[in-house]
Amino acid sequence: MFRLLRSEVYRLRRRFMPWVLLLLIVVAGVGFYVVVYASLQAQVEAMRSGAIPSQPGAEEAMRETLEAMRPDRVQSFGVQIVSGLGSVMLIVFAASHVGTEFAWGTLRTLLAHGAGRTTFLGAKLLSTALFAALFMFVGIVAAILGSYVVQAIAAGETRGVDLGAVANSAGRAYYTFLPYMALASLIALWARSAGAGIAAGLVVLLTEGLVAQLLVSLNTDYAKIVNYGLSRNTSALTRVVTTTSATPEPGFSTLPDQGQAAIVLAIYTVVFLALAFWRLRTRDITLG
Amino acid sequence: MADDVVLQTSGLTKRFGDLTAVDNLDLEVRRGEVVGLLGPNGAGKSTTIGMVLGLVAPTAGGAQVLGHEVRTHREQALAGVGPMLEVTSFYPHLSGRENLVAVALLRGGGAPARVEVVLTRLGLASRSASKFRTYSLGMRQRLGVASTLLGDPALVILDEPANGLDPAGQREIRELVRELAKEDRGVLLASHILHEVEQVCDRVLVIMKGKLIASGTIAQIAHRGSYYEIVVPDVGRASSALRALPGVTEIRETPAALEVVADAGRGAELNRALAAAGIYASAIVPRTSSLEDVFLELTEAESDVPAAS
Repeated sequence: MFRLLRSEVYRLRRRFMPWVLLLLIVVAGVGFYVVVYASLQAQVEAMRSGAIPSQPGAEEAMRETLEAMRPDRVQSFGVQIVSGLGSVMLIVFAASHVGTEFAWGTLRTLLAHGAGRTTFLGAKLLSTALFAALFMFVGIVAAILGSYVVQAIAAGETRGVDLGAVANSAGRAYYTFLPYMALASLIALWARSAGAGIAAGLVVLLTEGLVAQLLVSLNTDYAKIVNYGLSRNTSALTRVVTTTSATPEPGFSTLPDQGQAAIVLAIYTVVFLALAFWRLRTRDITLG
Repeated sequence: MADDVVLQTSGLTKRFGDLTAVDNLDLEVRRGEVVGLLGPNGAGKSTTIGMVLGLVAPTAGGAQVLGHEVRTHREQALAGVGPMLEVTSFYPHLSGRENLVAVALLRGGGAPARVEVVLTRLGLASRSASKFRTYSLGMRQRLGVASTLLGDPALVILDEPANGLDPAGQREIRELVRELAKEDRGVLLASHILHEVEQVCDRVLVIMKGKLIASGTIAQIAHRGSYYEIVVPDVGRASSALRALPGVTEIRETPAALEVVADAGRGAELNRALAAAGIYASAIVPRTSSLEDVFLELTEAESDVPAAS
């Protein structure tokens, strides 16, 4: 396993995609703070000067958002940015990491040189998880940097980052990535195609939550069913919505408790991975 | 399994639904010999290699490499194998050297230290920093062959290694294959390029529709198509006179001559037997066949037989 992992990391370091994703999350992490701050600040100034009509409570809401962008609130605002973008980027990465081995035909080469199927997939998934952890770390550092930039521009009271809270929040967000990455890897492996894995992962990520939200808004009894899906448990664990708004999602009170959420997400991850291992072990490698 | 046997298959069979791709194949490769696996496209050569490498699960039978059963002890078995598959696939974004390092890292042992050696041996050192995607087909083949030598293998498996190579490149590969055998490695060479096999292989296995239809040394295989053409005035009487002769395996009659399949060096004996019967041949001409003639004869004959289901 260690030999294969070394080979995986060696190849990964020389791929363009991981570096692009890391660059994107750095730019997004810092840039999002700066752009949102500049936009809100401009609106506040415009309201004060009368350029745009002031609505009751609007300025206060904006001030709250600006407050949320301070370093001591990175665990909510910053982690939310990184996890929102990260879930999409890591689905793309996980599917691509597995699927390209089929597209390039390198799976046969590696297996022919003695790599065991289980260890091959184990190393592949482990390297995916390691990259996701690095991605999360870099994204959070970028978000912290963004929050300090905003603090410096705002020139208000100086506050520090609560590293413990940030680590806790980032850890939860990372945990919620795992089933989506496992699903993307499974489908990419099953269909021998990165595109299929990306499509499946993104469709589940983007539509399952909407469907669940719609059903719960129609009748809260539906929560008993949709609370066994991915999105509601993800929301329960991170306790933030998947949009950029910091307001709790409708039906927040019907979310499963965090213990159940952790277990359900773990079960999904294990099932997806077990299916992936089974499929690779039982398949004749005549292509790819 | 004898000490010098590096690869042995017994009853190796693979069925894909109704299609039998490989049918009860027994083969053996010893150290220091080059064994050719000959067959037309779709004969089952690559499926056989896939089973030997554990990429394809046999329906029946099995393969042993260096005494290790591939199905149950794949990792130990393949530790001593240098494989090159029919389609040479490497990472397009990595250079030739980086691709070899990636393979060497997963092989472990002394493989990483051998990267430069094999690059030089295959004449790739000057282009080793170029991306694989920029390589010509010939260079890709060379890199594939280079990768087989990373683990200092006892058994080298080459599936169509000369594909895409120019004549000089093909010659280099032939020389390399002979060198590998001299280094006491066993080589299994799958090919449909007959002159390549004829020049480098000690033994040949001819497969068709997954079945072994002939095996032996090149001379033995080629002899299957060799015969004496005997011009005699009375073909029928001459045929009767020679039929009982030891070493004569087949007699074909044409209007003007006999075609007698017999062991090599029996021309004088055939002449004597005819003379003893009062028949005087006006010509006895040994006709030898090339491996290509025999191969085409064997495979064409077999292609008339419906595939096993």
